[in-house]
Amino acid sequence: MASQAVPAPKPSRKINTQFVAYLLIAPPLVLMGLLIFLPAIQSIGHTLFTQTDNLSTFTIARYIDFFKDPVSLSNLLFTFRITLLVVGFLFLVCFPLSVYLRFSHSRIAGWVQVLALFPLFVPGIILAYALIQFLGTHGTLDTVLRTFGLTGYKTPYLKPEGIVIGLVWEGIPFTTLILTAGLRQVDDSLIESARDVGANNWQVFRHIILPLLQRPALIVLSLNFLGVFGAYTIPYLLGPAAPQMMGPYMQRTFIEVQDIAKAETQAVMTFLVCSLVGVLYIRAVTSQRTERD
Amino acid sequence: MAETAIQDSTLFSARANVRRSFAATLRREGFGIVALILLILVILGPVSTVVLWSFAERWAYPSLVPTTWGLKYWPETFDRPDIAGALPLSIGLALTVTVLSAVICLPAAYAFARFHFRGRRPLLLSFLATNAFPRFALYVSIAVIFFRLDLIATVPGVVLIQLVNTLLLMIWIPTAAFQGIDRSLEEAALDVGASRIRVFFQITLPLVFPAVSAAVLLVFINTFYEAQGALIIGLPRVRTLPVLMYALINSELITQYGAILSLTLWLPSLFVLIFAQRLLRGGYLTAGFGV
Repeated sequence: MASQAVPAPKPSRKINTQFVAYLLIAPPLVLMGLLIFLPAIQSIGHTLFTQTDNLSTFTIARYIDFFKDPVSLSNLLFTFRITLLVVGFLFLVCFPLSVYLRFSHSRIAGWVQVLALFPLFVPGIILAYALIQFLGTHGTLDTVLRTFGLTGYKTPYLKPEGIVIGLVWEGIPFTTLILTAGLRQVDDSLIESARDVGANNWQVFRHIILPLLQRPALIVLSLNFLGVFGAYTIPYLLGPAAPQMMGPYMQRTFIEVQDIAKAETQAVMTFLVCSLVGVLYIRAVTSQRTERD
Repeated sequence: MAETAIQDSTLFSARANVRRSFAATLRREGFGIVALILLILVILGPVSTVVLWSFAERWAYPSLVPTTWGLKYWPETFDRPDIAGALPLSIGLALTVTVLSAVICLPAAYAFARFHFRGRRPLLLSFLATNAFPRFALYVSIAVIFFRLDLIATVPGVVLIQLVNTLLLMIWIPTAAFQGIDRSLEEAALDVGASRIRVFFQITLPLVFPAVSAAVLLVFINTFYEAQGALIIGLPRVRTLPVLMYALINSELITQYGAILSLTLWLPSLFVLIFAQRLLRGGYLTAGFGV
């Protein structure tokens, strides 16, 4: 090939490929800049500065309003409560499930895995519809309980419990998937050699599995937090009208009340809470990548 | 006589063995069995309810199964003008977004995998930002900008907001695939005189095909089901099928419409389910989360 025959123009070729590379990666980066970073930064700017006669002045009035308003404050706290509940439940349910899936190779484990991953293939909007028909008053669960003679079923639909049930259902596959993947990094031979030197189950768990599980657990907890805190479909369709989670609250402020400034403040509040967790997530992912490289 | 006795005793011990091993399995698999039963109830309960409703003509309350079975509501559902209009729109949108995403991202993925340039790693990792922002809050921020640009309730507006969600998958999965190619194969082809373009189309492309098609499939499905961005940006004029579901849930008295639409919407997802094992083994299902 020509490039092999003539070694002289190598430096210029290198600059050339650099240029081509930047040209190729530019479109998605520009798109992301315009549709993620720009809107976020602009919203933060809008909430911090007021425009009066070409003069923008710094103010935190909109945040003071946010915290003075009992509705927005109670919605924020409600969102926090639901998020912590869902993230906690998901971990409690999925952690034993993943440990089981990692160490059992039986046919039952295969079926458990299929079922635990199934919600991955149920879109949120269909899930909401299915849960309403299943859990609602006179729904399937009510009917089944009644045939067993259990009356007095109280539906969680349109209550905070409804949100928790829906979001946990939705989150099971992802949480199980990541935790199981994390547990697969634990070598069988490592565990066996630990047992050979007399370690019991607890010691194996404490000193071998737990340290290796830290990063996947951090990824799962942070992504679940981000997903639940900003959730819309499930809280909107399964939750109460008041208090509301931030997702439906923002949508109502934006579309129904059409108070764009207020909706923006709510969005930025959500950004601020999530940014802390987002940083945790990105750090967890990047540290994993560095170690592997 | 003695023979049958021996047979009996072996049969007996065989039975005892089965019983003992079953007990052992139960002890060992006790957790698994309990988990399986709970999962069947919790996961399949709501799902089967939808299936039953879509084949019911009447389902009066205390009855465990539909009182009258029938397909009466199927043609009625698809004759609804809103649903009939939304179906081609949804498919068209998902196709447009997927093609655009591939055109924008695949060359970038190739560059990330094959070129050495300053800032390669941080730039690649920067796509994680699409996960690190609370999505719905971001949509509200984007909507504020689109409002000024007159992109609200337009197809281009919905395409743009759905395109953002595809970037991470469409870049990360193909990048990993391009990186995984054994370079010696390409070099061998070059050595025997194949042109670079020919090598790309006959060696590189077939090797990354499984990963790229997985990315395309997942992006198409995710976009087809994307409802929140389309809801905020698309309404009132651009209504996709998933967005219609909100209206059907909130203000439709006939339960069957929602059930039938849910079941229909599900078909693409069931199609992916067929490939689930392969997607899982390839690690594609978790790729979108940066794991």
